[in-house]
Amino acid sequence: MNAISVAKRDLLDVRRAKLIWVPVALYVLFMLLFYWGQSNSMNPSFYRIMLSLATIGGVLLIPLVALVAAYLSVAGERESGSVRYQLSLPVSRTDVVLGKLLSRVSVVSGALLASFAIGLVAAWTLVPEMSVEYGDYAVFVALTLLYALAYVSIAVAISAATASRSRAMGGAIGFFFVFNIIWNFLPIGPEYMARFVFEELGLSYADSHLEFIFSLSPTGAYLNGLGLAFPAEQFPGLVGSGFDVFYLQEWFMLVILVAWVVVPLGLGIWRFRRADLG
Amino acid sequence: MGDAPAAPSRIGLVFTTDVVGVPSSFSDRHGPQYYKRRVRHLTPICRQQHNVIHSESFRKSYKIFAEWSTVPAIETTALTKRYGETVLAVDGLDLTVGEGEIFGFLGPNGAGKSTTINMLLDFVRPSSGTATVLGYDAQTETEAIRERIGVLPEGATLYERLTAREHVEWVAETKRADTDVDAVLERVGILEDADRPTGGFSKGMRQRLGLGMALVGEPELLILDEPSSGLDPTGIQDMRNLLRAEADSGTAVFFSSHILSEVEAVCDRVGIMNEGELVALDSIDGLRDEATGGATIELEFEAEPSVDLEMPALDAIDGVQQTTVEDGVVTAVCADPSVKIDVARALDQRTTVTDIHSTDTSLEELFNQYTGGTAHAGSRDSTGSTGESDTRKQEVTA
Repeated sequence: MNAISVAKRDLLDVRRAKLIWVPVALYVLFMLLFYWGQSNSMNPSFYRIMLSLATIGGVLLIPLVALVAAYLSVAGERESGSVRYQLSLPVSRTDVVLGKLLSRVSVVSGALLASFAIGLVAAWTLVPEMSVEYGDYAVFVALTLLYALAYVSIAVAISAATASRSRAMGGAIGFFFVFNIIWNFLPIGPEYMARFVFEELGLSYADSHLEFIFSLSPTGAYLNGLGLAFPAEQFPGLVGSGFDVFYLQEWFMLVILVAWVVVPLGLGIWRFRRADLG
Repeated sequence: MGDAPAAPSRIGLVFTTDVVGVPSSFSDRHGPQYYKRRVRHLTPICRQQHNVIHSESFRKSYKIFAEWSTVPAIETTALTKRYGETVLAVDGLDLTVGEGEIFGFLGPNGAGKSTTINMLLDFVRPSSGTATVLGYDAQTETEAIRERIGVLPEGATLYERLTAREHVEWVAETKRADTDVDAVLERVGILEDADRPTGGFSKGMRQRLGLGMALVGEPELLILDEPSSGLDPTGIQDMRNLLRAEADSGTAVFFSSHILSEVEAVCDRVGIMNEGELVALDSIDGLRDEATGGATIELEFEAEPSVDLEMPALDAIDGVQQTTVEDGVVTAVCADPSVKIDVARALDQRTTVTDIHSTDTSLEELFNQYTGGTAHAGSRDSTGSTGESDTRKQEVTA
């Protein structure tokens, strides 16, 4: 209840911040570019557009939108001292963090939903001959929102655990590099490290183990969860993990994403509750 | 060190005044209006007994009243905050502020005032000791406290993209208070800027808005950290009037300041902090009584006193506490005004005295004595008080 009063005030405040809207505009721009690209193609495919959105958008833009929208949420107030006005009122520190999450999630999901709606309009106007897969598009939008929610939660948690603007920014950028770029895209990620260690120690391992490590980051889980929105047989190797074990099924990717919402937030609240705000 | 606070006995006095009609020096400030507010806080049974107060249940109701009234607005017991191994920000603070009292919390910057306030508000956790606010534990019952108090935090910024009106609305909504937002803004004098974002506000306007936000929801206690900072003289006067009006309606006010003159005009009692310790706790009158004991004489002389006119000669005079020489002026602090003439005579024998200024020790000097006198090397903050520099000067000249 008190978290809602925090969220309402924060929403009023943050939607007037121009910086928040820059990555969203970028997202819309890229999306329009993909539709325009398909409009020049001989046989335009809606899935191609969704795949571009999932990769470029999922890997770069969604984390950017979410981190920019939320990395200052608590730390910025702590640095400026306005958190002391907030905490002079009958709200708990947990309320503050949850309220911030609520408000930033609604900003981010509102913006993304608007972008996806613009995408539909672009589909109808730029590539009218293309058939839009509404059902799969809805699943894709829902999955992407969950992914964004995980990143917002992580950013709020980092913000709650840090005392200043610069540390929060460092934490957010650091997280992005370690758990996105390095984890999933560079050949020095934990997947490769694990293989190296297994081989050095002469342990047996299966590829599914490595794939599971890949899936443990939010981005890995999102990419391996895309099979929910795509006909996997049309995109072999690109969508879905291709393994039968339960921990690589799409539903388990959802579990991982939900864990990325809950666990960092819990840690962030725990840290913030113990912090000295003098 | 002053005595334990007089809150319960004072409320007893108010009680007597109102019911039995004994005139009281508190009647100006704590007249019927004050009493009415107090009665509002009583439990129904108390109020009932209050109505039949002259009956035989008088004793019993008085007892209930007294018990109720012993819940202090603020109470700290051995409250201590350490930062790391070396810095002791607040050292074993024992302090009680009664209900309906205006308490001035004084001290130079870095004396531990804000740390104490931050502990009362649960922004900072004490290393040891306890604090209660309105009878609630400051660490475990924070929401109960925050529902009942109004706070002006120190150096906190407002939300610069929100307007003044939105700020007050937000506070009222969070406190679930039925507040006339315009009236609040009017009261602190920023109604005409109500719909501007606070990012463009001057420091004084921000402070006024902060004060207005603290007043929302009829708090039982106002905790104001350096409320006058950034205010111009008019603003400070307005603030004083506001605090008095709040106190008249029964609100306890606890505010910190590093300027004594600000505090003496409004406070019932003051506590002076220095280096994390409470070095004085008394009413302004009590402090003044103490202050009139001392006296200072300043003597201008023609030429620099030669070597044999060193200060120890003046220091040797009975009753002289401290002497300094600077720019052809000798300043001597005397324990008793009658000693001043001895100083003048002694100096006149050695050199030609051209002018004499004589002053009684002001509260300001007393404050400096309290806060500068205990300063020592390696302190966390330079107190910058004249008391300290006086001591240093003396060491150089002596």
